[in-house]
Amino acid sequence: MEKITDDKIRAGLEVLKNLHDSKLLTQLNSCVHCGLCAESCLYYLTTKEAKMIPANKVDMVASIYRRYFTLTGKIAPGLVNARELNDKTIDELTDLLFGSCTMCGRCVKHCSIGVDIEYVIRTGREMLASMGYVPESLQATVDAALESGNNMAISDEDFLDTLEWMEEELQDELNDPKAVIPLNQHGKKVLYTLNPREPKFFPLSISAMAKIFHAAKESWTLSTKMYDITNYAYFSGNPEHSRIIAQRMYDEMQNLGAEKLVLAECGHGARANRWEGPNYIKKAFPETITSVELIAAYFKEGRLKADSNLTEGVVTLHDPCNLVRGGGIVHEQRYILKQVAKDFVEMTPHGTDNFCCGGGGGQLAMDYNDRRMQIAEIKAEQIRKTGAGIVVTPCHNCVDQLSQINYTYKLNVQIKTIAEIVADALILE
Amino acid sequence: MHWYQWIASGAVAICLIVFATHFVRLIRLGSPKDYSKKAGSPAAGIVYSFTSAMDPRNKESAFLHLPIYTAGIIFHIATFASLITFFILLANFQPGPSFQIAAALIAFSGSLAGLIILIKRSLDKKLRWLSNPDDYISNLLVTIFQLFTGLTLLLPVLYPAYMLLAALLFLYMPVGKLKHIIYFFAARYHLGLFYGWRNVWPLRKA
Ligand code: SF4
Ligand code: SF4
Repeated sequence: MEKITDDKIRAGLEVLKNLHDSKLLTQLNSCVHCGLCAESCLYYLTTKEAKMIPANKVDMVASIYRRYFTLTGKIAPGLVNARELNDKTIDELTDLLFGSCTMCGRCVKHCSIGVDIEYVIRTGREMLASMGYVPESLQATVDAALESGNNMAISDEDFLDTLEWMEEELQDELNDPKAVIPLNQHGKKVLYTLNPREPKFFPLSISAMAKIFHAAKESWTLSTKMYDITNYAYFSGNPEHSRIIAQRMYDEMQNLGAEKLVLAECGHGARANRWEGPNYIKKAFPETITSVELIAAYFKEGRLKADSNLTEGVVTLHDPCNLVRGGGIVHEQRYILKQVAKDFVEMTPHGTDNFCCGGGGGQLAMDYNDRRMQIAEIKAEQIRKTGAGIVVTPCHNCVDQLSQINYTYKLNVQIKTIAEIVADALILE
Repeated sequence: MHWYQWIASGAVAICLIVFATHFVRLIRLGSPKDYSKKAGSPAAGIVYSFTSAMDPRNKESAFLHLPIYTAGIIFHIATFASLITFFILLANFQPGPSFQIAAALIAFSGSLAGLIILIKRSLDKKLRWLSNPDDYISNLLVTIFQLFTGLTLLLPVLYPAYMLLAALLFLYMPVGKLKHIIYFFAARYHLGLFYGWRNVWPLRKA
């Protein structure tokens, strides 16, 4: 790793110095080191290492703040463990904030004080980004999005080929040449987005959603220019990169003049566009909802009908952290599953208390793979205990991690998105 | 007023001035501006943050650690009770015997709870690793303050020593983690605002 310089230190400290409001100052002064958050974090639970306690990740950032911005930290750093920003601290910061946190926010809800631990970790990542210490593979994902318009650098040609193929599949399945995947159409009600994992690895989820739109007689379109729902700069901590990506989505909505933006099944993408995006560009987005909310609304309005007998076996649900704990979408996916599955069982714990799959926070785009699979033990056990044969999750990132968990922990389950399980159970009139 | 009361009063004044500075800074900095479209009620989120979200049944930090959590609650209640008692004694009010006994009992329970928390911090490997000297000093100072509150109510001869001890506590309060007397409220406010805006809080059962 490149040695730290005075300029880098200045850049890192600038992040702590530039207080836009009272939130950061509050978080940096609130933790009382009670340690009661330890058991809420999948990293501590699976490693039992003290350094993995969420409070320690907060303290990594807060201790630097104390050293440079408080009188006690300047006069008596040893008293309050005020740390210098040097090469050793950078190594620890990188390992803990990038390599040991999925930014799942589970510890936040359970903290005895109410410290927004995830927010402090995100601030620490921003410090590291401003000094040029974003892990290479994560930065490469962001760079791909900046350069090609999607984080997997899928070429336009490949993307169009995949969509054409999916459209043919859809028409064959429905035996209806009018079942289409509309592209770049102006003035539609819905501008739909995708997680690039879909065209790259799971194209059937695109045709599943197209089937749902077809059944609901929706007026919709996809954009070939800006369809990527993700914003990995949210995880890398670079505000300018986050802004550029969010602005592109905003511009494409304006360009196509759709009534609402519908976010594909992707927890962090939902967060990045519904909640963070407007703050990156300092402008409200037009109406933005998740596809989970939209599908639930279709069922409620009678635009979709399903036969739950078509779903065989026990179904359970994994809650993507950013959608549920960080986004308040808790009931819609459960309502949908009750329409399409006879035997639905909850994991323990579930809802806003559910554990992260281990793939969040950019972990799937970084090289901490052994650790990522180690922390996944908790999710594997949660799934095993339900006895389910199908695990549904409204997030393609989680699908990826759950598929790896399925293989590593020999769970022998099927992993599906909401759109996939709904599409398979639809009654088409 | 005796000299030791002057010292204690001076320390209280310094502490209040520093805390007021923190408070004014927080107010001046204000709440974050959120450009996203609000989905819930920030006000309801804030109320929830200070009420149901603090319910021990809703927090793993409480229900997974009931004995130490209970000790913490007793410690904090006793701290506030001891602070009130201190101001009563500083102002030379003569509380009645039943108040004295009740206040002393609360203060002693608090100091016992404080001692338990201190022992846990010293013995638990992960907590020891997380702790800095200020964590031990803050815990110890408050524990001794509570002990002396109780003792002074029963043995008035300790009054001068109690005033000096209180002065030390008030001078130390703005130095380290005891600042959470202010920041705790700010943290819960921000959390309520954040989750309330996104309609995560108030929580509806999944
Ligand atoms: S529970 Fe909250 S206050 Fe306690 S150590 Fe963890 S982050 Fe700090
Ligand atoms: S956000 Fe999640 S992974 Fe990160 S410290 Fe908290 S509980 Fe652990």
